[in-house]
Amino acid sequence: MKEKKKVPKTSWKKKDFLGWMIMLPSIILFAFFVWEPLIESVRLSLYTAKGIHTEDFVGFDNYLRVLRHPDFMDALKNTFVYIGWSLVIGFAVPIIIALLITETIHFRSLFRVGVYFPNIIPGLATVMLWGFFFRPGNTGVLNILLSKIGIESQKWLNNAALTIPLIVLTMTWKSAGSTSLIYMAGISGINPELYEAATIDGAGIRQRIRFITLPSVFSLAKTLLILQVIAVFQILYEPLVMTNGGPNNASISIMQLVYNYAFRDYKYPMAAALSVMICIVLIILSGIYFKLTTKKED
Amino acid sequence: MKRKMIGLLLCLTLAISLLSGCKKNDANSTSGDTKPTDAAKQTNTPVPTKEASNPVEKKIQLKLGIWPEDTLTDDINMHKEFVKRFNETHPNVEVVPAYYKYAVDTFVPKAESGNLPTIFESWYTEPQKLIAGGFVADITDNLQKRGWLDTLNPSIRDLLSKDGRIYGIPRDGYALGLMLNVELFEEAGLVDANGYPIYPKTWDELAETAKKIKDATGMAGICILAKDGAGGWHFSNIAWAFGATLTKDNGDGTFTANVDSAEAIAAMQYVKDLRWKYDVLTPDPINEDWGTGFANLGVGTAAMYIAANDAVNQPTQVNGLPVDKLAMCALPAGPNGAQYSLSGGTPYMFSKDATSEEIDAALDYLEIMGKAPVATDEAIAGMKADAENRVANGVPVIPRFPCWIVQKVLDAESQIIKDYGNVDPKMFESYFNATKQSGNLRMEEPGSAQDLYAELTKVLQAVVTDKDADVAALMQKANANYQSILDDLFKK
Repeated sequence: MKEKKKVPKTSWKKKDFLGWMIMLPSIILFAFFVWEPLIESVRLSLYTAKGIHTEDFVGFDNYLRVLRHPDFMDALKNTFVYIGWSLVIGFAVPIIIALLITETIHFRSLFRVGVYFPNIIPGLATVMLWGFFFRPGNTGVLNILLSKIGIESQKWLNNAALTIPLIVLTMTWKSAGSTSLIYMAGISGINPELYEAATIDGAGIRQRIRFITLPSVFSLAKTLLILQVIAVFQILYEPLVMTNGGPNNASISIMQLVYNYAFRDYKYPMAAALSVMICIVLIILSGIYFKLTTKKED
Repeated sequence: MKRKMIGLLLCLTLAISLLSGCKKNDANSTSGDTKPTDAAKQTNTPVPTKEASNPVEKKIQLKLGIWPEDTLTDDINMHKEFVKRFNETHPNVEVVPAYYKYAVDTFVPKAESGNLPTIFESWYTEPQKLIAGGFVADITDNLQKRGWLDTLNPSIRDLLSKDGRIYGIPRDGYALGLMLNVELFEEAGLVDANGYPIYPKTWDELAETAKKIKDATGMAGICILAKDGAGGWHFSNIAWAFGATLTKDNGDGTFTANVDSAEAIAAMQYVKDLRWKYDVLTPDPINEDWGTGFANLGVGTAAMYIAANDAVNQPTQVNGLPVDKLAMCALPAGPNGAQYSLSGGTPYMFSKDATSEEIDAALDYLEIMGKAPVATDEAIAGMKADAENRVANGVPVIPRFPCWIVQKVLDAESQIIKDYGNVDPKMFESYFNATKQSGNLRMEEPGSAQDLYAELTKVLQAVVTDKDADVAALMQKANANYQSILDDLFKK
């Protein structure tokens, strides 16, 4: 009995030693560049600081300060509004694009490149480009176009009710293409015999999409939904560049608040505290994501 | 087995090279310390004559963050000349050009990694933040030794000190005024018989003037900022003219927000009227910041802009406005005749890692540049070089704001303006007259000015984008917000 136990143990060691050695450099890198800063920022959030050097332990004071700050509620609310709009505007678009392109017979790769195109533009360039489109007054591109057909100029991003949907529109324009590529890959993995059988049975294009394609990409969509929520939760540079969080905090996001604390006010402990809060939310979301994806693999 | 051994060896070398990589970095960051030892090793070889004449003094490095940026070749040539003269008297100092444009996102990493230049410029809003963060050197003793302490303009001294210690010296002082694009005034027919622009003396007149310009030229009458803190900063000056005081100092270390007073609300209502009643603003005020304001003024898409005398190179040299088409007048007066100019300074500050000798070297360099409170021949030569450079680049040569109170320096400066003046002093007369009046200059609001500006900027954004914005309610909310921040900061 003893002998039996010993043998697998030593072989485990032998087998895995080389593996651990291979991993060692990246473990050191991770520890140094990822985990250490993470733990350090948790520590920072519990202290007062001079610059980035911690001074006195203050417990959860920084967290309370963040929660009491007048911008916090606006930012939190907006972040969820961003997520809401991104689901309304952005979630279905890649699926529709993927469906349209897979059903296309001619020029399919041309369209595929076409929808991916906005993705190769750097993010900042995209938001600045759309910033010119949305400029209010008679110098904005959209307003110039609208004036040709006699519609008077709009305020676009300056209209507090429209700001977030328009920023989400910009994000969708930029990133829908890459997501639809994932859907296209998913769709191309569906057994073509299913389609053949359905076609022989007299199913039209709408029925094929409804009964074969959509159910097949359902679990993929579930995963991408969570990924999208996680990504949009961290929205930063789009509102920062397009509106700087305005007008009157109408588009400020929670990440921009972190940015403001850290890089505008040099209040690093507050920035760290808010980051930790965001981190906790994202850990929960990631947990849901892992649960969903493992189910799919089963 | 062999393969395994090779794999193992490879992994080990990788790990070791990683670790040694870290070590190398350490060595680099302390290169200042290692250099002398290198020199010590070479004691057998003959040392350069310069050092031989002064063997005890070790070579020190002066990193000049105030070096001009690459595109300004004339300015660089001027500084090269300065360095040559500086090294005649300071052979032991190695001057290293280390152009650094202060930016909030690069500053802290640079400071923490010990890579800040010995001397650098910052902004009006920053000194207190930098002092609180421990990023800048205390230079009180250096100034004391030179006898410069008592010559500092007291209002600027406050801005640069904490608990009686001083952390910077002014490059320029400034006071806000109103910059005018004379070309647009001419186009709108708003010039007198002698060709001088007819500038507004009250805020009501400003609205009407702006309207006339908009009607005649289609360009914005005035550029009002509403993007970031600068919006609230400018607005606080407008509010003062309407009789408001935005923060009350309770004298016991606490402050009371006073943003929703009738006067402040009237001032905000006035800004709202500029947008909706007169419609004289640029198309997108919530995307206008300090820099775009000057761009608008310089290229002629706005006729007026609240700005200070130390930034006259912005509309001209940077944005191409001919030097004789820029005028500056006092900020308009409010309904009750109150008129103020917000004043402060653009500071030179020093790296926290700089030694006392390095700071002294930097201060000596400033003397050669003519930016110090001394009127030596060298300093006057520096002032002349600066003036010549301004003339060559189409920047108005106008009086500096008196940040040092030393009569000799002031005399030297006025002589240089007489010799090199490239603009009609009448174009700036109203501005300088106003700033000389007693009670005109006013420092930023006490308390937490940056948070106040952030709150005001939100209100500004609301009133310039929403025709139905309720000014009083917004100001009340801003007041409550600002009060909660003040309570957080100052109540124990």
